[in-house]
Amino acid sequence: MAHAAIVTDLNPVNSNLAAAHGLPTGMPGRLIANLEAHAALAPEERAAVETLLGAPKMVPADTDLVVDGEGAADCHVLLEGQAFRHKTLPDGRRQIVFFHAPGDVLDLQRAFLGVDFSVSSLTLCRVAPISRARLAELIVARPAIGRAFWRMSLIEGAILREWMLGMGRRSAYARVAHLLCEVYLRLQRVDLVQNNRCRFPITQNHLADAAGLSGVHTNRVLQQLRASGLIELRSRELIVRDWAGLAAAGEFDPAYLDAHADGIVSPRSSGVPRVAAD
Amino acid sequence: MTDLLFRKLQRRDRRLSEAEEKVLAAAVSHHIEVEADVEVVRQDEISQQSLLLEQGWACRYASLPDGRRQILSIHVPGDFVDLQSFPLKRMDHTVATLTRCRIAVYPHANLRKITEQFPHLTRMLWLTTLIDAAILRQWLLGSGQRSALERAAHLLCELRSRLDVVGEVAGETFDLPLTQAELGETLGISQVHANRVVGALRNRRLVTWRDEKVRILDWPGLQELAAFDPVYLALESMER
Repeated sequence: MAHAAIVTDLNPVNSNLAAAHGLPTGMPGRLIANLEAHAALAPEERAAVETLLGAPKMVPADTDLVVDGEGAADCHVLLEGQAFRHKTLPDGRRQIVFFHAPGDVLDLQRAFLGVDFSVSSLTLCRVAPISRARLAELIVARPAIGRAFWRMSLIEGAILREWMLGMGRRSAYARVAHLLCEVYLRLQRVDLVQNNRCRFPITQNHLADAAGLSGVHTNRVLQQLRASGLIELRSRELIVRDWAGLAAAGEFDPAYLDAHADGIVSPRSSGVPRVAAD
Repeated sequence: MTDLLFRKLQRRDRRLSEAEEKVLAAAVSHHIEVEADVEVVRQDEISQQSLLLEQGWACRYASLPDGRRQILSIHVPGDFVDLQSFPLKRMDHTVATLTRCRIAVYPHANLRKITEQFPHLTRMLWLTTLIDAAILRQWLLGSGQRSALERAAHLLCELRSRLDVVGEVAGETFDLPLTQAELGETLGISQVHANRVVGALRNRRLVTWRDEKVRILDWPGLQELAAFDPVYLALESMER
């Protein structure tokens, strides 16, 4: 099952590639913001997290970053770009189980054991390794950092449960609308939404594989969402015309993204999602 | 009586020590006995303790505003049902008993001490929540891509494997106290469909399921139908 190591090192052309795509360089801040979503870290803890990251690499779109069955190893944080996590049955049926935004650790599980999923890039991505050995040391030296990573992995679980609820009990229409809401809101939280628009490299086929629908059915649902004036979707861009309407269509309540520890609300994710006011 | 959890963790990591077993046992403040069909932790509740199932069965579920319910996990003896409420506090779902249960209560203050003094044990506890997520990914894969029959077969394979670790499978037979309505809510199908699926498994001579007891007649056949590979459960000792 395991294939060759996949993270292509494009170091010699790194800066050119990044510049050509307008990507800023070096963004450990997004990982730290993610870790601090539930409780602030001390300044020295923040500095310690930065030391976990190895040199970032640029990875082209449509590349496997993590391959199902690979053993325990260093983890990867997505600093820039978008990616998705998926699982495939032996006969090839594919289920997408997560859409990743910058700041996400793609495979934290590898610090502990092998992976039961694959991750592929949707766009050009900047990915930095997190040293498994350093992470293990840091969890011992700084239990607060360990708890922060633990929480981050648990939020992934909350997202999975929300998807599971949708898959079991929501209509196709609500499922697709819910996916659009979640991707949009998670991108907004890392400041990647401007004027109600975000980059949307997720194709109709990806949406179909995430919602457990056929391509034809997904296309019909997208047409409905467009016709209702909720969204526009074109040239790899999503425009949300009516956030409240889209959230209602998706039965979307962002609470699952914010299981705030002890009621601590970070500035990044405070209160009502900013889109709601638009 | 935390030996089931310990047994399960030690199978994953043989270096788990007697000292760590004692720490785990000492973190329990008390036990509670709960009847069947009781909500022990509710969605949106801020919890100050985590619950370990020692006897009996429980499940996690979430509901839509109109009452449609989806079971998100099924728990067997030796499982924490809400360990995540220690790092995260606010619950994103509800935990309810399926049968009468005996539950060990771990106050979060005691778990916090473990995270501050016993990093190896902390990693093992963290790992159990990662495996919860791996199980959810399997369920998601199933609900999107497997037929209802394949999903039912996969659920039985998974439960048989998890129960075996805690010594609850005898002669290819185990308890499964799920009603057909609850099976439907687990597989994302109607009760009538759930009934048909159980009938189909019986007609294929893969399992019998009556009076809350499942007997596996053809283990390789059941695994093949489900495309079951237990690796995601990380039941055995692993590289660290």
